[in-house]
Amino acid sequence: MRLLIKGWVAAAMVTGAGVALSVPAKAAEYVMSASADFSGPFADVMPSAMSGITAITNWWNKDTGQKLGVKVNIKIYDMRYDAAVIARTWPSILSSDHPIMHLGFGSPDLTTLMKRLPNDKVPMIIGTAMVGLVWQPKGWHFSIRPTYSHEFGALLAKLQKDKGDKLKIGAVSTQTAAGFVDQVKGVEKLASMYPDRFEVVDTQWVAASPVTVTNNIRDMLEKKPDVIMVGGTTAQVIATAAALDELKVHIPIISSSHNGLSEAGKGGDLSKLEGDYSVFSFAPDNQKELPLRDIYLANKEGDGKWGLIADQSAAQALLALRVLEKAVAKVGPDKVTGEAMYDALLGNTYSEKDLLGALPTLKYDDTAPFPIGEIKAKAQIVKDGKIVPLGDAWLDAPKLDKW
Amino acid sequence: MLPTGIYFDNYGSEARLLKTTRARISIALLIAALLAVPLLASAYLLGVGAQAFITLIAVLGLHVTVGMAGQINIAQSAFVGVGAFAAAKLATYGLPFWIIIPLAALITGLVSVVFALPAARVKGFYLALTTLAAQVLFPIVILGLPSDWLGGLVGMPVEPLMLGNYAIGSPERFYYFTLIIALIMTYAAFNLHRSDFGRAMQAVRDNDVAAQVMGIDALRIKISAFFVGSLFAGVAGACTAWFLQFVTAESFTLFTSVWYLGMLIVGGAQSPIGAILGVAFITLLQEGLHEIGTEILRNSREAGGTIFAATNVALGASILLALIFEPRGLAHRWNVLKEMIQFWPFPNR
Repeated sequence: MRLLIKGWVAAAMVTGAGVALSVPAKAAEYVMSASADFSGPFADVMPSAMSGITAITNWWNKDTGQKLGVKVNIKIYDMRYDAAVIARTWPSILSSDHPIMHLGFGSPDLTTLMKRLPNDKVPMIIGTAMVGLVWQPKGWHFSIRPTYSHEFGALLAKLQKDKGDKLKIGAVSTQTAAGFVDQVKGVEKLASMYPDRFEVVDTQWVAASPVTVTNNIRDMLEKKPDVIMVGGTTAQVIATAAALDELKVHIPIISSSHNGLSEAGKGGDLSKLEGDYSVFSFAPDNQKELPLRDIYLANKEGDGKWGLIADQSAAQALLALRVLEKAVAKVGPDKVTGEAMYDALLGNTYSEKDLLGALPTLKYDDTAPFPIGEIKAKAQIVKDGKIVPLGDAWLDAPKLDKW
Repeated sequence: MLPTGIYFDNYGSEARLLKTTRARISIALLIAALLAVPLLASAYLLGVGAQAFITLIAVLGLHVTVGMAGQINIAQSAFVGVGAFAAAKLATYGLPFWIIIPLAALITGLVSVVFALPAARVKGFYLALTTLAAQVLFPIVILGLPSDWLGGLVGMPVEPLMLGNYAIGSPERFYYFTLIIALIMTYAAFNLHRSDFGRAMQAVRDNDVAAQVMGIDALRIKISAFFVGSLFAGVAGACTAWFLQFVTAESFTLFTSVWYLGMLIVGGAQSPIGAILGVAFITLLQEGLHEIGTEILRNSREAGGTIFAATNVALGASILLALIFEPRGLAHRWNVLKEMIQFWPFPNR
């Protein structure tokens, strides 16, 4: 009888232990803070931008986080694209959320946080392209994209190759924003490094939101540019297209993502932008095969829409989450810190496949705040009144020294 | 006007800033409450408080130029920027803050004199246009100077504020630092009103021809009003540099200058109380509405666009309502309220 009782007790203990083991352990929760601009100049695109981050994180928590025993909470803060708001919000984020990574948005985040991040031991990844102004070593601020000038360089190199001769570049920009001046300086550096391939024949400095740039473009046409680079505002792209239309000349305009074809197209007829380009270092939202898009559409919540902005922020979040995977592999699921994330970002290579086709293979080190090695970009073009990807392959950016 | 029973035995008592015991107790309680805020408030709120104190210093400067001397100035943000860049540059030489702040203020004051010179010939809207030139020129000059001077396109990083070996980087410490500076500058602004210079400024504001007939050098007073108003801007700029820890020309825009002027008008331009109430009202409104928007966002599945657009509309509507119902500024409403309390239980109007 005693043996029987002992047997039952043993069986109960084994069963109990089994039940206890089969209950999943509570996942380690981490916060990634994100800067938004719901009440500043980018308010209209912010729902889409934030939906990219939240959709990919929702998917990752279900798909990968559960397996790793990790859950990521995205905490969105409306920084209003204002350095003062960021300066007063950041200490509060640090003390209340203890983020392991910050997902930044634009130059106010860069200028306000880049000196604080190394002390706070929190790395930041931004989705917008870098500017040469903050090309400093040993920073904790990184972008998924190289500088605007690198991106322009990739498309300019392709166009120069197609032309076979030296490519003459005209630029329209504004001196009221340091970042926009920096884009032109970077392309001037490109031309000085490859004088047999590129020449910046003219730069027209105009207002940030010009009513017309027809006189400026008329002046520029005397220098016979092959392309006109407009890296500043959407209003400048629209005004340049209108000026070319008025002057009955067709010269391709090259814009970026923030002021690109999809943005300029909202302001008018896409046929006026026929043959014009946008270039950026992530896969176009309308690329034929794009696993990131499928995941976004399956996991999206709220009022955001798929497009270039959601595409960019989804790619930004995906890189941050892939970094977390590497950090978990190195230090364990419950010991991830901002420092572990920084080490994981710099210590690993992130393949295009890992990044679901949204970004090229990326590798970082502490010499620059953007990917090092082979820098690549993709472009869109307006063809028959529609925005389409310019081929499937990544365009290679020529090597570009610091300017 | 003072209630019956309050009288002064000598001129010294009458000239005091705080004339009654009740006023002294009220101010002591207010300062004690402000000192106790860090015990209760979050790091974010302390940041909001510190920024409000910096804004108050800038708006008090505008009160001197616009409210006391009647000289329109829509470039106060540019002058704050001059102070910020001056402080950032001076900090690179390892100078202590108690030297940096007065020097930055002095540099800003001297720069403002250049733009005050047109006040000799023009006034009103025409003077406003000349100060607009200062605002437009500010980023052009900063970007145009060699980058090793003031950082050029990049801007300048600023090391956290140090008091000897004691870092003032945390939100609590920086809150106390800006509170002390704001108290000093507020005292200075109130004090100006009872000085010869303050009375001369008010005489020039009310009628500059009559003031000249009475022997006041109106041109000197007008230029000095810009100089003194910009001293305040310089102090605000130095604090801004330590607050942001990075200065760029893009941080000091015409839009901010307009906000400063808006705060002064909503509060009441002719009294330092107006500057205080205007800054408090606009800051509380902006932050309150924004906090409501953030709370709604946290509890909904919306991505936030509509919510924050609505808070901006509410902000504009609240400012409009404040101006419609109290066009003389909140300072006037404050005085009416104060008199009501002083005369209670008797009617005073």
